[in-house]
Amino acid sequence: MEDHPSAPDFAPFFGMAGIAAAMIFGSIGAAYGTAKSGIGIAGVGTFRPDLIMKVPPSHTQCLIPVVMSGIIAVYSLVISVLIAEDMNPPGPTRYSLFNGFMHLACGISVGMTGLAAGYCIGVVGDKGVRAYMEQSRVFVGMVLILIFGEVLGLYGLIVALILNTKAKG
Amino acid sequence: MATRRIISSEKTILDQDDHDGSGPAADQKSNISPAVPMDVIVKLLVFTLAMIVVPIGSYFATVNTLFKGNSTFAGALAAVMANVVLIAYVVVAYKEDQSDQLDPKKKEGKKDL
Repeated sequence: MEDHPSAPDFAPFFGMAGIAAAMIFGSIGAAYGTAKSGIGIAGVGTFRPDLIMKVPPSHTQCLIPVVMSGIIAVYSLVISVLIAEDMNPPGPTRYSLFNGFMHLACGISVGMTGLAAGYCIGVVGDKGVRAYMEQSRVFVGMVLILIFGEVLGLYGLIVALILNTKAKG
Repeated sequence: MATRRIISSEKTILDQDDHDGSGPAADQKSNISPAVPMDVIVKLLVFTLAMIVVPIGSYFATVNTLFKGNSTFAGALAAVMANVVLIAYVVVAYKEDQSDQLDPKKKEGKKDL
């Protein structure tokens, strides 16, 4: 058996761990964001709209945090697909340990920032939708804060894309 | 003894049925219009479908044709397309917000006139 110091047999383990980390942590963040803002929407639904507010919040506006949580999962999905395309069954070209660590960094960066962004979207979505029920002027501020939370996940995606190109070269 | 009530012919509150015009809520109108209008359901379904199809579809449509196998650009395009769908959703929601606020004002103005 040949000895490959830079491309050992266990190197693909780290790449696959990167795929799993991207998808698992990103989905945890997206699930938290969806569930927490869903609690807020349900809380709005228990009030009688004709007594409390003059302008009831529409369904489209209440669901903005849920849509943003879905985008977090799309980021994780994109990175998982990109890493999975670079990994092949053992053949003539060996998967180097450098590529494995780089893919692990890709997955963890997009997964953990997705977790952070999903947490932010969940908390802001819950309280924001409840506040929007009583004061509709909060809408623009709520959407802006949600976008700033969403951008955290986008930064992780950008870093992961750059790392992914390095692993190829 | 002459004015004795015939108890057996009276109904308890459990036996009383809601006849037309006699129930406690008979003079109130029930809101029987659907809680979610049809156009909102269509809008949400369209955006849900777009959210699923557009990023993944744009990735696989462009990875071998437009970008010639460079999957990084195709992945970046998929993320951009997801954000395009999100921005379109926010714009639609914001326009709905404005129309909601304008309509009651119009109604109130007509009442004053």
